[in-house]
Amino acid sequence: MLILGVISLAVFAVLAGQLYRLMIVRYDHYLGLSSENQFKYVRIRAHRGLVYDSRGSLLVAARPSLDLMITPAFCVACATEVLPKLGKLLEWDPEQGAKVEQLVTSAKGTQRYQPLVAQVDLTQDQFDMVAASLYRLPGVEIDPVPHREYRSGASLAHILGYMNEISSAEFLRFNQESDERPAYAIGDYVGRRGLERAFEPELRGRDGWVREVVNARGEVVRDEDGEIIRQTEVQAVAGESLVLSIDSRLQAVAESAFTADAGAIVAMESKTGFIRAILSRPSFDPNEMTGRVSAHRLRVINEDPLHPMLFRPGAQHYHAGSTFKVVSGLAALESGLFTPESQVYCPGGYQMGNRWWRCDLESGHGSLTLRQAIKVSCDVYFYRVADVLGLDPVARVARAFGLGETTNFRLAAEVPGVIPDRSYYDGGVRGRYSKGLALNAVIGQGDINVTPLQMAVLYSAIANGGTVLVPQAVLRSETPSGEVIHEFSPEVARKVEIDERFRALLVSALKAAVNEPGGTGGAARLEEVVVAGKTGTAQVAKLGAVRLRASQMKYWLRDHAWFASFAPADDPDLTVIVLAEHSGFGGLNAAPVAAKIFRAYFEMKRADNGLPPFVHRASRESAPASTESSAPLEHDDPPPDATLSGTQDLP
Amino acid sequence: MEMELRHRSVSNAPWTLALAVVGISALGIYNLVSAARPPAESVWKPQLLFLGMGLVAALVVALVDPRLIRKLTVPLFVANLIALVALRFVGTRAKGALSWFQLGPFRVQPAEFMKIALVLMLARYFHQQRPGLAKSYSLRQMLVPLAIAIVPIGLVLSQPDLGTALMLAFTSATLFAFAGLSRRTLIALGILAAFSAVVLWNDYLRPQSEPRTTVIRKLMKPHQDARIRGWLDPSSEVRSTNYHATQSKIAVGSGGAWGKGWKKGTQTGLRFLPEQHTDFIFSVFAEEQGFVLCMLLLALYSALIASSLAVALAAKDRFGVFVAVGITAMIFWQIFENIGMVTGLVPITGLPLPLMSYGGSSLISTMIGIGLLVNVAIRRGSFA
Repeated sequence: MLILGVISLAVFAVLAGQLYRLMIVRYDHYLGLSSENQFKYVRIRAHRGLVYDSRGSLLVAARPSLDLMITPAFCVACATEVLPKLGKLLEWDPEQGAKVEQLVTSAKGTQRYQPLVAQVDLTQDQFDMVAASLYRLPGVEIDPVPHREYRSGASLAHILGYMNEISSAEFLRFNQESDERPAYAIGDYVGRRGLERAFEPELRGRDGWVREVVNARGEVVRDEDGEIIRQTEVQAVAGESLVLSIDSRLQAVAESAFTADAGAIVAMESKTGFIRAILSRPSFDPNEMTGRVSAHRLRVINEDPLHPMLFRPGAQHYHAGSTFKVVSGLAALESGLFTPESQVYCPGGYQMGNRWWRCDLESGHGSLTLRQAIKVSCDVYFYRVADVLGLDPVARVARAFGLGETTNFRLAAEVPGVIPDRSYYDGGVRGRYSKGLALNAVIGQGDINVTPLQMAVLYSAIANGGTVLVPQAVLRSETPSGEVIHEFSPEVARKVEIDERFRALLVSALKAAVNEPGGTGGAARLEEVVVAGKTGTAQVAKLGAVRLRASQMKYWLRDHAWFASFAPADDPDLTVIVLAEHSGFGGLNAAPVAAKIFRAYFEMKRADNGLPPFVHRASRESAPASTESSAPLEHDDPPPDATLSGTQDLP
Repeated sequence: MEMELRHRSVSNAPWTLALAVVGISALGIYNLVSAARPPAESVWKPQLLFLGMGLVAALVVALVDPRLIRKLTVPLFVANLIALVALRFVGTRAKGALSWFQLGPFRVQPAEFMKIALVLMLARYFHQQRPGLAKSYSLRQMLVPLAIAIVPIGLVLSQPDLGTALMLAFTSATLFAFAGLSRRTLIALGILAAFSAVVLWNDYLRPQSEPRTTVIRKLMKPHQDARIRGWLDPSSEVRSTNYHATQSKIAVGSGGAWGKGWKKGTQTGLRFLPEQHTDFIFSVFAEEQGFVLCMLLLALYSALIASSLAVALAAKDRFGVFVAVGITAMIFWQIFENIGMVTGLVPITGLPLPLMSYGGSSLISTMIGIGLLVNVAIRRGSFA
C-alpha cells in the first residue's frame, strides 16, 4: 500500500514537473503562440500603379481577370477526379494538365492552404463552364484578380514591358529584405522588361496586412454587433502611377508612318532627353505575354526570325552609315588640319596606296568643302580626313558624344555598340590596324556600330550645343489621386566642349542636306519648320562589285536605311532618328518617316499653343498636285541605289 | 448499539477524502462555467444536477451492507456486459463512437459504469480465490481474472473508446500487481509487453516502404492511428495529427504562474481546444487559473488518492482492500492519463478528468466509487 502511495505521489510529481516546464519555464513561448493563434493574417493587395502618356491618356490600366484557383488542402481526389474534369472543361493539352497537377501536388505544409493559380484569365465561356460545375470541383474557385491591361497593344510593348508569375528564386530574393510580412506571395506577378520591371518597386506599392480574429476552425469571429473583428497591422500602400513623356498620338503617327517590317524610331526632345515617341518593330502584345500566352505561342514568338522581343532602339546595334559623317567632320575641324574652307576634290573615288575607294557618286562630286560633303554625302572628303587623321581622333569625338557606351536609358536593355580605335585592333584578335580600317570607319561602316538611341543622343548634342543627354521616358510619378511624388528632370551625361563655329557649320550642313537642292535628305523637307538631318545607308553584306537596286536584293542582304535629324534646326526641339532595317537608301526610305513625325509634332504643338493649323502652300494655292509630294524627289540625289562603295575593297 | 456503530462509523469516515472531493467538485463547477461559455450551451447547471445525483448515489452506496454489494457484484457485471453488447444495436453514435444510450435528454455511457463493475468483479475474485502458500498468483490462477478483464476491455475498444479501454486495462493491471503475481506470471506478462512494444515499433517506427506491413495498425480507426503517430512524432504538423496536443500545450503554457483569469482564456474563448468542457477541461483550468492553482488542484487530487489508499490500508477484509485499491487505481490512472495528455506527456485518448470534466456518467460513476471507498472506510473492522 505504501508502495502504491509512493508510486502515485511520484507520478503526480512528474505531472507537476511538466506543468512547471510548460507554464513557468516556457511561458513566454506558449504565450506568444497563444496570441498568434487568435489571428488570421489577410493580405490586402496594393493597387499597382497605372501608366499614363504625356497627355494623361491611360496606357496601362487594370482590369479584372478571372483566375482559376485551386487550394490543394480542400481539393479532394484532386489528381484523380477534379483535375481531369477541369482539364476536360478547359481543354487542357496533356502538357498543361501535367503542369497543374505538379503545381497542386508539390504544395507542402501551409502552402496547401493557399489558393494556387492554376490558370489565369479565363474567357467568359471558360468561366461559365467551370462556374456551372463548381459544386463538383472541391477546392476550386474563380477569383477576379486585377490584371494589367496594355491599351496600346504591341505599340510601346518594349517600353511598357509585361508581367508574369514570380519564380521561386525571385520569391526568395524579393522577400529577403521584408522583415515581417513577405512582400510577395507565390503566384504574384512581377514586372518583366520595360517600365514594369524598371519601376517594379514603385509600381507595386506595398501590400497591407489585416489581422482577423479567428477561432480554431479558421472562421472569423464577430463582435456583438456582428462586425468582423479586424485590425490593420500594415496599411496597404498603392503603387505609384507613372506619367510618360511619350505622347500616344505622336506614337500613333510614328507607327503608321513606319512601313518597314523591322526597325526603330526614336523621337526625343533635343534639349531634355525626354522621349516623345519610340518604336521597335516588330513587336509583341504584352497583353498576351501577361497571362494567357501558351507555350506554343511563346515558341512562335521566340523563333520568329525578326525577333519581336528585341528592343531595336537600344539592344541592337547597326552600322551608322553616313549619319556618322557629322562625327568625322567634327573630328576633322577639331584637328585643325581641316578648316570650314578646306576643299577636297572628289573624282568619284579615292586612291590610297594601291586601292581605289569608290564614292557614292561614281561620276564624282568635284571640289567640296565639309558643308557640301555632308550635304551631298560625299565619301571621298571623309576618306581624305581618315587618310590625314587616322582612326583615333575620330573615335575620340565619337566617344565624347556617348557612342560606344550605353546611354543609361532606364527602361530597356541596351548594348554599347562599337567605336574602334587603333588599340581596338592592335590589342585584339582582329589583326593589326591599317589605314583602310579608318577609311571605312569615317563613313560609318567597318566596325562602327551604334544604336538608334545613341544616335538620338549624338544628334541632340549637336543640335543643343554639346549637351550629352540621358534618354528618359518617365516624366513623373504620382499617387493614385494625382499628387506628384517625384518629378524627373533632364539628366545630363556630360557636356562636350564644342567650338560654336564648328557646330554652326555642322547644323548648316545638315540643314542644307534637307533643304537645299542636291541634299540627300530632301524627303524630310517641311514648309512649317526647318529640319536638319542626315541620311545614312548602312551596308549589311559584302556583295562584290555588282551594283543592285534594293528591290532586286534578297531582304536579308539589303542595306539599312537611316535618317538622323532634328528641328527646328536653329532652336532644336525634337530629334528624330529613323532606322528601317533592310530598306535600302536612307534618303528615300527613312527621311519621309521623320518628316511625318516632325509635321505631326509641330502641328500638335501649334494646337497646344492655341494657334491655328499651319496652312500649307499646296492648300494656299489650292493645287492638289502640289510640290509637296514631288518636292523631296526633285532635290534628291539622282541614284538612290544601294551601292557598295568601300567595303568591297577592304583588305 | 446500532446508533453507536453508526456514530463510530461516521466519525471514522475519511474526512480528508470528503473534503478533497468537495474541493475538486467546486473547482470543477467554477471552471465549467468558464469552459462552456456562449455560444456554447452552458453546462454547469446540468453538471450541478449530476453532482447532486452522484452525492445521493455515493451516500446510498456508502450505507449499503457490503455483503449486499458482494452479492450484487456478478449480476451488476453481467448487466454491464449486456449493456455494452446492447450498445451495438440500440446505442447512439457520437463523435464516431457507439458509446451512448439516449435516455430522454440524457446520454448514458455504460463503459463508465463498467469501470466500477470490473473493479468489484476482480475484487470478488481475489477475495474468494486466495493465492495459497506462495502468496502470489500462478499463471493458471490468473486466467479467470484475465478473462474477466479482457471481455469488457474488448467490448469498449470496439466502440471504439480507446481511452476507457485503457483505463480498464490499467486498473486491472494494478489490481493484478497488487494481488501478487508469481515469477512465471510476471515473465509471461513481460513477454506480452515486449511483444506489444515490438508491434508498436514495427507498425510505426521501423523504416520500411509504404504500404507498411502492420500487425494492429491496419485494424485501427484513422483518428486513433493518427493520434499514436502524433504522439510518437511530435514534430509533425501543428494542424494535422498533433493539432490537439499542440493547442492544449499552448493553452496550458500560456497560463503562466497566475493564469489569464476566469473566462479570459483566449485558447478557450476562441475554441482552439477540442472537447474543452470534457476531455480538455484541465487545459481550460491551467490557461485561466495558472500554475499555482494547478498545484492546488494536484494537491487535492493527491489528498484524494492518499486518503483512498489509507482507506485500503485500514480495510479489514480482502474484498474491501481490493475494492479500495481498484477504485483508487481507476481514479489515479484517469488523472494521470488526462493531465498527461493535455500537457503532451502521453498520447491523446478521449478520457474525462474525474470530478472536473463535464459528463453525468463519469461524474456519477466516480461518485459511486467514492461511495464504495466510504463504505469500506466506515465498515472497517466490522467483518473481520
